[in-house]
Formats: sequence, structure tokens, C-alpha cells
Amino acid sequence: MFKDTFDKLCWASLAIVLIALLVLLGMNAGSEGKAASGLDKAVEREMAYHARVELIAKLYGPVDGLRKEGKNQEALLKLDELVRKYPGEAHGHILQGEILREMGALDEAVASYVAGVKLNGDYLDDKSPLSRRGDIQRLVDEGLKRIGARAAANPGNRTIAASLQKVNYLRSRLAGGCE
Amino acid sequence: MVRDRHFWIVVAAGLLLGGLGVLLAVWGNPENSGICVSCFIENSAGALGFQDNSRMQYLRPELIGFVLGSLASAVIFREFRSRGGSAPLPRLIAGMLLMIGCAVFIGCPIKLFLRLTAGDLTALAGVAGLVAGVWIGVRGLANGVEPGPADRGGRGEGLLIPAAFLFLLVLLFARPGFLVFSARGSAAQHAPLLISLAAGLLLGFIAQRSRFCITGSVRDIMLIGFRSYMLWGFLAFLVAAVGLSVVSGTFNPGFYGQPGAHLEHVWSFLGMALVGWVSVLIGGCPFRQLIKAGEGDADAGLVVVGMFIGGALVQSWGIAATAAGVSLYGKAAILVGFAVVAAGCLLFRERSV
Amino acid sequence: MRITQLMRLFIVLALLLVVAGCKTEGKRPVVKIGYMLCNSEEETTQRFLPLTRYLSDKVGVDFVMVPVDTHDFEKRFKAGEFALTHTNSLLYIILRENEGVEIIASEKRGKFGARTAGAIIARKGSGIEKLADIRGKRLAFGPMLAPTGYLAEYDLMLAAGINPENDLAFYSIPPGSYKHEKLIYGVLYGKYDVAAAPVLDLETMAREGKIAPDDFVVLAQSKPIPYCTFAAAKGTDPALVKKVKEALLALKPADTAEVDGERLKVMKAAWIDGYEELPDSDYDPIREMAKRVNMPPYQKY
Repeated sequence: MFKDTFDKLCWASLAIVLIALLVLLGMNAGSEGKAASGLDKAVEREMAYHARVELIAKLYGPVDGLRKEGKNQEALLKLDELVRKYPGEAHGHILQGEILREMGALDEAVASYVAGVKLNGDYLDDKSPLSRRGDIQRLVDEGLKRIGARAAANPGNRTIAASLQKVNYLRSRLAGGCE
Repeated sequence: MVRDRHFWIVVAAGLLLGGLGVLLAVWGNPENSGICVSCFIENSAGALGFQDNSRMQYLRPELIGFVLGSLASAVIFREFRSRGGSAPLPRLIAGMLLMIGCAVFIGCPIKLFLRLTAGDLTALAGVAGLVAGVWIGVRGLANGVEPGPADRGGRGEGLLIPAAFLFLLVLLFARPGFLVFSARGSAAQHAPLLISLAAGLLLGFIAQRSRFCITGSVRDIMLIGFRSYMLWGFLAFLVAAVGLSVVSGTFNPGFYGQPGAHLEHVWSFLGMALVGWVSVLIGGCPFRQLIKAGEGDADAGLVVVGMFIGGALVQSWGIAATAAGVSLYGKAAILVGFAVVAAGCLLFRERSV
Repeated sequence: MRITQLMRLFIVLALLLVVAGCKTEGKRPVVKIGYMLCNSEEETTQRFLPLTRYLSDKVGVDFVMVPVDTHDFEKRFKAGEFALTHTNSLLYIILRENEGVEIIASEKRGKFGARTAGAIIARKGSGIEKLADIRGKRLAFGPMLAPTGYLAEYDLMLAAGINPENDLAFYSIPPGSYKHEKLIYGVLYGKYDVAAAPVLDLETMAREGKIAPDDFVVLAQSKPIPYCTFAAAKGTDPALVKKVKEALLALKPADTAEVDGERLKVMKAAWIDGYEELPDSDYDPIREMAKRVNMPPYQKY
């Protein structure tokens, strides 16, 4: 591979290009190149994410306000409007799950949480500002106990079995693993 | 058998693969996914910008370690041999099919047994599927199915995949702006970088020396039985994985509430059957393909490229299963996969006249 | 000879065609379903005729829809006018206790699935902010056998120490059809101070834009309880009951049935989200309420 002029030319080209590349990278190390080229995707994504969290807080603020006043049914009616307006947004389903649970509709609460978590797994993450991991864990514990007992008392009941399956889905998501 | 040094290398490979498979999850990787080649490839494809699931993007150091560890072993023991040119395009497609099968099951054959040894009984359907797939593949080989003429000597193409993974290693440390790492989701769960890399290098090294892989073990057990060293390596894997799962408190037997698992057993079976079948035809499971690519096998390298394409597609097209189950696209992809492999068997069969 | 054979063959084929073309309908068994009137006979028919046809298609039985006034329901059921019943949950309990009907499936509709709640509402800004404020006020109830338009609210008031018979200025039940809507509008436009409103109606009216969620204050609300229910008379063929249950549980939004030559979406026509399999014990909270409020089937004079 180092026999004739052509080989030598190729080796020389290779060396020159590699040196040029190292010089180029060395000169720009630590510069603002990343931001200037608009390629720092991680930062852009974090900013978009935080903007989204802010928007969610603003959109669903009236619902949270009603809940704080103890007006769960009014909050539910308000939420209905928002869920219809933003059907792909998981937050409405999660809030609905929280309200339904407080109102004693456990099966429907579980179904709402499942719909929300399927749309956005961030609600299970400890690190997310949207995290509801603790609430979901408590819901699963309650679901396993109450829905599990109903399933045991009514073997073959498909509605209760379907509810228990939803609890197990949340349980599986809480357990982690690859998605 | 026990006086043979290679026997002990195989056993050590099994012990390390099973042990580190559990420990990496303890150290930060997703539950039951201490080692999962398909998950790692999906994550890495995402980190490189090939798929945009914001919860599945991380350049997994273990993956880089597997290839570079294998390269180091092959170079040190003078086993690096650049070779390739056997049915390149079918191998590329095979790599994609491997990822489809793994994504529908949720895990590669290594993770299949890591799941099972952690008590995830839903993996039983996958075990049955893998065994069935390997059996079909072995029957295919016995009947003359061969993707292409064996090992043509190559000139330099065997260097390309190790070089590409060396480049990925540079990216991993340089962290250029175009690389995206998840801040949330399973890709945000990872063991410390240097530990992951070291584990990958160690496993790549010993896997190259031992030729140990899960699908290969199943195949050899089927063909040779107790005389196969792979059987003992496989048993060592199981012992290490079960033992460490119990000790680390991650052993949780049952069908329900398992991490990264679903209850669609038929599709788990079919997913792993596809992986088993394809793996036998192309000479190894996803892990083995990485190891072979590291020792200069450009054919395996093309499978690896196919796996990266597949890893991106299963996420972008919604083929990958989740705890909620298998999507329609996932089911359709599995059936298309079987159709492609069956058609391939017809096309690539050496028939005696 | 050949012509004769051909003629015979032609006649046989023609007969076969005639027989094959005969509709099997009319030969199937006929089973009647009594539907409790919701607002009017016309509305109930419009809602549930597609469902009845769907059941006929799925079960292979000619189901006939019989719209029945709530107060005549038990009498007509006793008289054997229909074998299957579609009623609210209180009427189901009355039929269960008195006639031994067996539950088939429970209707799903609204936020609480196969359950809904009763609420006591007042107009926002009326000065009525809590349940204690309703003493001496004008209240409108729904029909007396309405579990979430009467029973649940009556029970809520008793639990809060308010006796509707003595502690209100008066209470009344709006006459005619669409009682629930009337009383909600009645509160909104000041005819009544307070109303016993089924949450399902509040949800529906808000969704249709008839009212705004901000128009009202919910003073109290019951726990969710089961609502509309399909049941079968004691002794009905178990195989038939099983088939009806399967068909109801399998009902999907895309399922259609033919009514007057037109194919209609069954769930959309009936305003429902499907059916669930609730055990009879899930109706126990209604039984307890009925006992506390002294309502049938536990009424004591």
C-alpha cells in the first residue's frame, strides 16, 4: 500500500485531510458553533417542553382553580370542554382521572389515567414536571385491592376483568422497562 | 470437556452476559433491560436523529463496547479477517426483520431470557417462539436454504463497521449538538457511561473469544445436545441472571405488572419466532451480528446497518409494541416479515437436481 | 326425452330459487322488550329502535320494542307483556325485588361510565352557596322514580339534616316530558331556586351548548350509581339471555342497524357509549338510598 506515486498521493491526501479536520475542530472547540448552527437539539427540545408545560398550566388553570374550591363536578364539566377542544392532549385525561377518583368512580378514573399515560408517558416519570407517579402508584394499589377483590368475587365478569387489566397496564408502566 | 479451555471461556461468557445483564439494570439501565441489543439500537438510532420518539433516544455505550471489544479481541488474537459480499441486500433486510421481531416482543433474545430470569412469565411465549423459529431455520438450512455463497474474502470492507462504531465513540464523548439524548422515558434510564462502556467492551471481548450467543445456544442444543459447550454457557447465563435477580431484589415472578411486557402472547411468540428463524439463516442473533461485525465480517456489518434502519422504523412507524399491547402496524409487520423470510427461503434454496 | 328432462330440471331449479329467496324472518321467535319511557314515546322509540333491530340481527330473534310509561311498567311486566326490560336502576331494583328479574347489562353513558350521579344545583350568583342555604327555597325534583333526579338528591338532603317535606318553601316536579331539562332551565331562568339535576343531563346540556358549566353551583352530589339497565324476566331462556348479553357487550360505535330502509349507527342513535357487565351487588347503594328515603320497593307506610 505504499508502492507507487499514486499510493503515496493517497496517503498524503489522507494525512492532510485528517490534520485539517483536527485543526478545524480544535479551533472551534468551545465556541458558539453549536448554537449558531441551530443544531443543539437537546436545548431546543427542553425549551419547547417547558413552553408546553407552561401552556398546559395556563389552559387547564380554570379546572385546577375549581378543584381547589372543592367544585369537582364543575371542574369535570369545564374539563369536558377542554378534552373536546384538545383531544390528543394527555393532561385532560390525567386531570379527569384525578377528579373521578376523588368522586369515587375508581374504574373510570383508571380508564382516564390509562388514556392519559398512553398519550404521554411523562406522567410516570419522576423527572418530569408533569409527573403524577405517586398518584398513579396509589391508584394502582387501590385498584389492585378494590377491583381485584371485585374480580375475585365475580369470576368471568368481563367489565371488571377489563378494569383490572387497565390497572395491570399502569402497574406494568410503573415497573419501567423499555417502552 | 471440562479440560478444554474453550469450554470455560464459553461458561465465563454466559456468566458475564447473565450477570452484567442484571447488574446494568441495577446500575441504571431500564428494568429487565440491562442488556437488550434491539432496545439499544432503537435508542441509538434515535440519538442519531433517525427516529423522533423523545423517550427513546440515547447512544448506548454498551453497543459501542460490544463492537469495539470484539474488534480488540479479534486483533489481539489475530482473528480479525475482513470478509463479506455474501447476499448483502438480503442481509440488510434481515437486519430490519430482526428489529421488527424484537420490537413486537419488546426485547432481543438476551433480554428475552433476562425478562424470564427476573420472573416475567409473559416471556415464556417468546421462549417458545424463539425455539420454534430456530427449529424452522435449522430445517431450512438442512434443506439447502443459504442466503449466499459463504465468506468471500474481502479487502477492506470489514473495517467499516468498527470504524463507524469508533466514530460513535467519539460522538459519545464529544456530544455534538445534533445528538439528542432523552431527558425522560426509558432512554433517560442508563448506567454511568464509563461502566456501560466497560461492560460492553468486556462482553464484546469475551463473546468474540467464545462465539457465545443466545440463539446460537438454542440452535446448538437442538443439534448437538449435551455435547454443546453453548449449553453450559447458556446454563451459566441462567444461573447468573436468576441468582443476581434474586439477590438484587428485582426477581418478581408473575404475568402481570411486568416491566416492558405485554400480554399478547401470540404476537410475542411470533415476534421471537421471526427473530429465531432469521437469526439461524444469517448465522446469529442481533448480539452475535455485532460481534461478528467487530471481527471484520462485513456481511454481519450490513445486518447491523439493517438493524439501525429497522430500529428507526419500528419507532417511527409505530411497529414497536408497548405495555398496552401490539399495534396493528406491529402485527402487520410481523406477518410481512414472515412472508419475506418464507419467500427468501424459496429464492435462496440450493435444490439438488 | 331430452326436452322433458330439461323441463323437469328447469322446474326443480325454479322451485329451489323460489325457496331460497324466501325470507326467514317471521319464522324466528318473537321476544318483546319493554323500554321505560325517558322523555316521550317518540324519543324513546327513535333512540332504541336501532338497538332493538341490532339485537334481532345479532341474536337471531325478532325483538319487538314496547315503549312503556314508568308508572305502568311493573303492572305491564307482571301481565307478561314483555320478557326483557330496559329501565332505570331504581325500576330495575323494584322489578328484581318484586318479580325476580335477572340483570343482563348496564348502559354506559357520560363521564362515570356505567354509573352517574345526582346533583343539587343552584344558579351561580343566586346567593345559595352551600346545601344548608336551600332551607326555605323553591326546589324542583325530577320524576319520583328517577334515581339521579329524585332519589339521590332526596337522600343527600336527608343526610344533611334537611327534610324536603318540611324545610323547603315548596318542592315540585315539572309536568310533561323533558322534566330534567326543564328543571335545569327552571333554575337558570329563576323559576326555581334549586333543582335536583342528574349529572348526565348537566353533562349533555353543557356538551350541546345549552348551558355553560359556569352557570351553576353544585351544592351537593351523590356517589356515582348505576343507571339504565337491561334485565330479563325470571325463567327466560338462559341461552337467549346469554346471546343478548354478548350482543350488548360487543356493541361498538361503528355497529349499525336498519330502520325504515336506512342504516343507523346504533350507539349514536341511542346516545350511549356501550354496555358493561355490572354485578347486581353494584346496585346495593341504590337499595340503601331507597330504604333511607322510604321509596319502593322498600317503602313502609
